[in-house]
Amino acid sequence: MDSRDTILKKLKANKPEFIALPKINPAVFDENIDKVKEFIRKTEVAGGKVFEVTDNKEVLSKTQEAFPETKVNFSNLDDSGFFNTIDSESFKNPHELNDLDVLVLESTLGVAENGAVWLTDNDIPVRVIPFITKHLVLVLPKENIVPYMHQAYSAINPMDLDYGIFISGPSKTADIEQSLVIGAQGAMSLTVFLK
Amino acid sequence: MKVGLFIPCYINQLYPQVGKATLELLEKLKVEVVYPSGQTCCGQPMANSGFENESEGACINFVNNFKDFDYIVTPSGSCAYHVKKHYNIIQQTDDVIKVRKNVYELCDFILNVLKIKNLGASFPYKVGVHKSCHGLRGLRLGSSSELVIEPYSYIEELLKEVEGIELMPLDRSDECCGFGGTFAVTEDVVSAKMGKDKIQDHLRNGVEVITATDVSCLMHLEGLITRNKQPLQVRHIAEILNSTI
Amino acid sequence: MSHSKLAGIFNKDEKKVDWHDKALWFVRHKRDLSVHQVKGWEELRNLGHGIKAHTLSHLDVYLEQFEANALKNGVQVHWAANGDEHNQIVHSILKADNAKKVVKSKSMLTEECHLNPFLEANDIEVIDTDLGERIVQLAKEKPSHIVLPAIHKNKLEVDELFQEHLGTEPCDGDPQYLTGEARKHLREKFIHADAAITGVNFAIAENGGFVVCTNEGNADMGAHLAPIHIACMGVEKIIPKQEHLGVFLRLLARSATGQPITTYSSHFRKPGKGVKMHIVIVDNGRSKQLSRPDFRASLHCIRCGACMNTCPIYRRSGGHSYDATIPGPIGSILSPGKDLTKYSTLPFASTLCGSCSDVCPVKIDIHTQLYKWRQIIGKETPQPFIKKKSMAAMGKIFSKPSLYGKVGAVARWALRTLPKSLINAWPNIWGKTRDLPVGPKKSFDQWYKERENNKKTDQK
Repeated sequence: MDSRDTILKKLKANKPEFIALPKINPAVFDENIDKVKEFIRKTEVAGGKVFEVTDNKEVLSKTQEAFPETKVNFSNLDDSGFFNTIDSESFKNPHELNDLDVLVLESTLGVAENGAVWLTDNDIPVRVIPFITKHLVLVLPKENIVPYMHQAYSAINPMDLDYGIFISGPSKTADIEQSLVIGAQGAMSLTVFLK
Repeated sequence: MKVGLFIPCYINQLYPQVGKATLELLEKLKVEVVYPSGQTCCGQPMANSGFENESEGACINFVNNFKDFDYIVTPSGSCAYHVKKHYNIIQQTDDVIKVRKNVYELCDFILNVLKIKNLGASFPYKVGVHKSCHGLRGLRLGSSSELVIEPYSYIEELLKEVEGIELMPLDRSDECCGFGGTFAVTEDVVSAKMGKDKIQDHLRNGVEVITATDVSCLMHLEGLITRNKQPLQVRHIAEILNSTI
Repeated sequence: MSHSKLAGIFNKDEKKVDWHDKALWFVRHKRDLSVHQVKGWEELRNLGHGIKAHTLSHLDVYLEQFEANALKNGVQVHWAANGDEHNQIVHSILKADNAKKVVKSKSMLTEECHLNPFLEANDIEVIDTDLGERIVQLAKEKPSHIVLPAIHKNKLEVDELFQEHLGTEPCDGDPQYLTGEARKHLREKFIHADAAITGVNFAIAENGGFVVCTNEGNADMGAHLAPIHIACMGVEKIIPKQEHLGVFLRLLARSATGQPITTYSSHFRKPGKGVKMHIVIVDNGRSKQLSRPDFRASLHCIRCGACMNTCPIYRRSGGHSYDATIPGPIGSILSPGKDLTKYSTLPFASTLCGSCSDVCPVKIDIHTQLYKWRQIIGKETPQPFIKKKSMAAMGKIFSKPSLYGKVGAVARWALRTLPKSLINAWPNIWGKTRDLPVGPKKSFDQWYKERENNKKTDQK
């Protein structure tokens, strides 16, 4: 018998009697929070910046203002031609994206309780890009902010997900004497534009 | 109401004044208290050392001594907790079940059975409360700092009524003192360091007297205080609640 | 070496102990601030406990479901009965594609299986990419904490280490500079890696996906750049449905560091373009632990490290004093299940204060399990002759009131009469740092009897 069958057989023999699965009742946790306010507060605590804007045009102009000297920029918003210094050809070899300065992506889901922004393969041209970029800029419609993780997972179809990620704040570490340092292996800054 | 008084072995032998204060306090509150003479120890020292089986005789002796009382009251959260939680090693007769159900730590008994808060005591000192772990997280005599629940503390409720007392808040409200029974000897270095840190917390916060529901914690702390000649005293909570200075 | 001996060594440098204690207490404090902001936190813990308990009672079924879904997703699934088999599997995957350079994000399981030395012996470079893990790897040490692997090292030690291995400038331990240099160093490793190994925080039965949580982004940097991604998981990492992540991701980071969520929570399901994805499912003693009714709840653990941060012993003895892959309270209930004799001192490295159980996000009754392991150790491992005899003697004394009275009188007399120097001397370990109480003349027993007699006399 191979290990698979041995393991499964042992687990079956050793497991306790069936215990019922508890139901999650999200109402228990509901505090009727101001979702936008809470989202902004939590993103800032996580080391990110939040700006409120009216449209994508403003996103790109504000991004350029915030990062004026950058050489390599990419945005997947509509009408980003003037902003982009690289095109989708560059994504064929993601190892060469190491010098990407600014990346702008659009998200469809954010979570108020922790400032997490959801991205899937649909939002990302290539998976490594939100990590390898120096600065990450995310755009999120305010009405797509849900209060808690429970509501977030209700909005995600588990059977229709190839890869997805919640991002809350920039990459960070406190592994040297517990001193918080922003910019470990992933993006060194995170900016969220709420529209 | 007939109450059996359980005086833990180390209090009986080393801190009889705590037993006296407990008895006097209960008598002051008009409780009919009897001290069964055949009592010894709840069995915890052996059980916590991994020799539960050697403690069966002690458990049986305990039950035999206390089975005829409505309540069993003891000035030790740790012993009360041991009887409640770990007397599952002996046969669960009606007597055993009754004893396990009716054993109470002193403050718990006064506040929640007698339903008395003000005991007419006075104690004009700055007091730091050491929340002994078995009382706190075992008997739930108060809310532990880990849990997200309404804060409460039976001990502090009673102490707040004591005239002249000033309760001093600590930096770490309910960290263990490091006694831990045989832990104090088998892990003596860490045990002593924990006690030392605990004492510093009390000193930093202007405490003059440390109190607790358990003499075992206080014995450990007092041992360090005496050795290091520090300006602190320890008093079991029964001594404070019975005090009229 | 016993826990107390190793703890004694750690305590030779009291300043370091104080720093270690305060740093971890601060993490516990951040956890408190964070969880007190969550309405229904205790209900969330109940759910965490309940979902895990249910899952264990149905574990084989969920694993099969997970496997079937993962295969459908185009992921290869492997099963390893123990650490050796796990290492062989990982090696064979690497060998098949001639992968020589591996980047690894944090995985306590691969630590448990001793994967790094195995691969290195097979001429494969393994780079730990979590900063804390990279630090201990360079120092040729083991992580001393499961969330903060290098918490036992100070910044000057890291400074020296990086000078030696990464060629950095002396910087008086500037964390910003050192982290920046590590970033550059690891970027190179990510870009040139032939394969990436990650751990798994949660594996979802209903869709065959799995979630990896990091703050640094190192798991994703590795997994998306390398052509091979191997995810290693213990059998207990499974959860039934994606919606259960809502509970566990809310619990995990808050308990670990006080953050409401880790920076990155990556949901892997189907391999990316040009990437081969493998999952290795490992037993290595877990099915045995499942068979022990008193201890199976230890498999609920989601590896947040909160029990370490709160443990007053761990904070003052350091993670290495446990000499086990998982240190601290949770490690002390897991390790004896693997080797009772080797880890027989760990369940005694506790005052049974219960803080670990109250802080645990999935409500593992850690201190109760410590107590229960003690009973098994008392019965099944060789105990010192003196301990055995004294326990038996105590048992006898306490079961016979007459005997008890006599012994007590002798002890009080000794404490009262003998010189302190003698009382506090060896073999009285108590007396090394503490005085013993002054023995009173009368026990409570005697005082009470006299009082009762006086009452009777008065009444006459």
